[in-house]
Amino acid sequence: MKDKAKTDATVGADAAAGAVAGTVAGALPNMVAPEIVVPKMPPLPSVERVVLDNGLPVHLLRNPGQEVVRVSVVWAAGSAVQTAAGLKPFTASATLNLLAEGSMGSGGGAGLSAHEIAERLDFVGSYYDVTVDRDYAVATFCCLEKFLEPTLEVASEILIRPAFPEDEVSLYARKRMERLAVERAKPATKAREMFSAALFGDAHPYGVSSPESEYLGLRREDATAFWSRFYGAENCFAVCSLSDDPAQREAVSELLGRLPARSMSTSGDYAMPAPVSDGYRFLPMEGAVQSAVRIGRVLFPRHHPDFVGMQVVATILGGYFGSRLVKVLREQMGYTYGVMAAMVNLRESGYLAIATEVTADATADAVERIFAEMGRLKTELVTEDELDTVRRSMLGDVMRILDGPFGIVDVVIENIQIGGETSGLPGSSGVSSRASDGASECKCDYLADFVRQVETITPGRVMELAQKYLDREAFTVVIVGKE
Amino acid sequence: MIDYSEHTLANGLRVVVNRAPSTEMAAVNVLYRVGARNENPLRTGFAHLFEHLMFRGTRAVPDFDAPLHKASAENNAFTNNDYTDYYITLPRENVETALWIEADRMTGLQISPEVLEAEKKVVVEEFNQRYINQPYGDQWLLVRQMAYKVHPYRWPTIGLSPEHIMGASVDEVMAFYRRYYNPANAILSVAADIEPARIFEMAEKWFGAVPGEGITGAGRPVDVLPPEPLQTQARRMEVERDVPATAITIAFPMGGRTSRNYYACDILSDLLAGGSSARLYESLVRRQRLFSGVNAYITGDLDPGLFVVTGHLLPEVSVSAGEEALWEELRRLCGEPAGDYELEKVKNKFEAETAFGELNVMNRAMNLGFYDMVGDLGLINREVEIYRSFSAGELVDEAGATFRHERSSTLIYNGGKR
Repeated sequence: MKDKAKTDATVGADAAAGAVAGTVAGALPNMVAPEIVVPKMPPLPSVERVVLDNGLPVHLLRNPGQEVVRVSVVWAAGSAVQTAAGLKPFTASATLNLLAEGSMGSGGGAGLSAHEIAERLDFVGSYYDVTVDRDYAVATFCCLEKFLEPTLEVASEILIRPAFPEDEVSLYARKRMERLAVERAKPATKAREMFSAALFGDAHPYGVSSPESEYLGLRREDATAFWSRFYGAENCFAVCSLSDDPAQREAVSELLGRLPARSMSTSGDYAMPAPVSDGYRFLPMEGAVQSAVRIGRVLFPRHHPDFVGMQVVATILGGYFGSRLVKVLREQMGYTYGVMAAMVNLRESGYLAIATEVTADATADAVERIFAEMGRLKTELVTEDELDTVRRSMLGDVMRILDGPFGIVDVVIENIQIGGETSGLPGSSGVSSRASDGASECKCDYLADFVRQVETITPGRVMELAQKYLDREAFTVVIVGKE
Repeated sequence: MIDYSEHTLANGLRVVVNRAPSTEMAAVNVLYRVGARNENPLRTGFAHLFEHLMFRGTRAVPDFDAPLHKASAENNAFTNNDYTDYYITLPRENVETALWIEADRMTGLQISPEVLEAEKKVVVEEFNQRYINQPYGDQWLLVRQMAYKVHPYRWPTIGLSPEHIMGASVDEVMAFYRRYYNPANAILSVAADIEPARIFEMAEKWFGAVPGEGITGAGRPVDVLPPEPLQTQARRMEVERDVPATAITIAFPMGGRTSRNYYACDILSDLLAGGSSARLYESLVRRQRLFSGVNAYITGDLDPGLFVVTGHLLPEVSVSAGEEALWEELRRLCGEPAGDYELEKVKNKFEAETAFGELNVMNRAMNLGFYDMVGDLGLINREVEIYRSFSAGELVDEAGATFRHERSSTLIYNGGKR
């Protein structure tokens, strides 16, 4: 049970002025705080990019000395594509989740059952996981080096020859319907879904959510059609963290080279409609002790010149434990266990989001205080000291992600999704050099640019961004609980 | 394999270090041997509330987080029934900032009534967010209260009720601090690419001056806990809640953290629910289609803990059919040895999970602290071997001793009305 128990004392003055009942005579004598060093950013990982014969761009990270391997495949086949293409709800997530639920034999006969696939991966302790969001579907394999071969054998069943058996489709639909019903009993889930709909519109690919009963309409054909249409090499890329052993690289390339080359269509074929935002939505919950509050506005995707700056603004507001909203709503008022603010990136858009669960009776006051803090960013320059704290905190986060082979893969995936380097994905800013299978060195351009912008942002720039983007009238407020 | 070096300061602080090559990050972990088990039954939730207060500043450093943010550090803590753990990750060059600030709050905590009042409200909101305003939020609280009648494991870390938390006073806070937060009751563990001898020097520099025998001279406090009497009759509770699906939970007492039964139960729970090829999912979800989801796990407590099987029923399935199906799987473990392939699968999984877990400096530091608390640091590298030592026959015996009807506690959490 990981309990976040955090704070720092904005109310330090109160503490000093107040009763002294809580002091223990025993503070350390003459302990001068150690000097703090501004850490050097570790060198950003160098990634080798190759394009396989089937057109699949593969990004290779070398990871010597670790006994683990990770392979991730990313398809531009999230739920927004399914919505934009007018397909049934839940098709995108079902297709991804059912990849491992049975395969076809190479000769067209029966391959492995869902249970056999799971058992073979479990037998060597390999980890297989999938995630899907509005834009992307991702499948990840992690294994011990010594079990790479058996892991890739199963990966081949999953990635190359998924069967989507009718039985497994119906089991999946039932199970997921029940699970979603449980999820939707949580106020935070309701608030998140209402927030997306309020920001983008009820039918928008980034806003829509469907009744859980829609799961029951899914058929095998929906998944097979979606798979043939969007799971080709043209609509995807892979990122691998391997040792220096050339045999590993060869084995992984051999597998990925067998992914189907062509997609019948790609995510780039569908235009995203403009968002239509609502100012306010409220869902009463009888007897709720807390309200889930979501506040935000649609802004822009990650490649927009103001995105990183707005990440800094969001961090000052509610992006770390020392943030202004934590100090006010948690430490000063005791309204909440947690509050956060962040810029959320989507392929075709992006938004600022503030999220908290507050004691029900203080809902209105909490909302006022959130807007008051936004207002303060527009009228008062952030001090150099506070901004410096935020910078170092953000850079520390980057260092933590880059520590370890798995985190680096995540960074590379994100970098490619943003279009920070050449990728095979349609709509990204790079152009794929499909013609050659020659290798080229790529850098994590996005990350380098992020670090540079965070290091150099000024208080004046923070205020300018706040004035540009934090007008209350432009914001959407969603409350689930009590008004 | 985790290499480690250990050392004990004159004031009783244990220091354990792992040299972690090829990383720029350092992890600093301080574990205090105090948890919900040490609480007054009328002040449950206190150890966790206290953990929150450890972030509210000292006389020397009123703003605990400020220097850590400047040092690009991230820090947090958790409390469970057995211990309280504070952890910091930061760039290796700044490791002394973490040691300094941990030493400072081991001795100079300063809590005003105002800060205490605000923090109590925060903890009550945590209670609300996680256990009250949440479907199935009180399920685990009910199981604990049924399975334990005497031992302090009968209450959860968050406490039995918000009233217990709201009743805490500054005097109680400081008495708790004096009793449990002293070097003889703590373990400092560090994982970083730094020579262990150098860490020991730094530990001496920053923690050496922390008053030795505890602030009141008490040394390491020992609380004698009432052992849970052997359960001789099955227990059962049914509740009605506004949740989408009915949930069934069955719990059994099991051995403490270093007992052979503990490892057996860990393997048994993996046979049932370790991965999607495991028995419960394969049989009750995939084949028989009785549940939408199932799980089996052990609580992992120091003292005798609980073995738990649980599932969400599909709406058309009766409670008795679901319960019987769970029992059927338990009986199978008691009567029929697992095959070689299946057993090998579970053992391989422990090995792989151990390797994945060791990638990260934070896990290493945290694990070192945990095993030192258990009292057998070497266990950190021996567990894979212990798992490997079990035969199918021994597991049948252990299952037979564990899954007995008269030792079961069953919670039927009725939902599906909406």
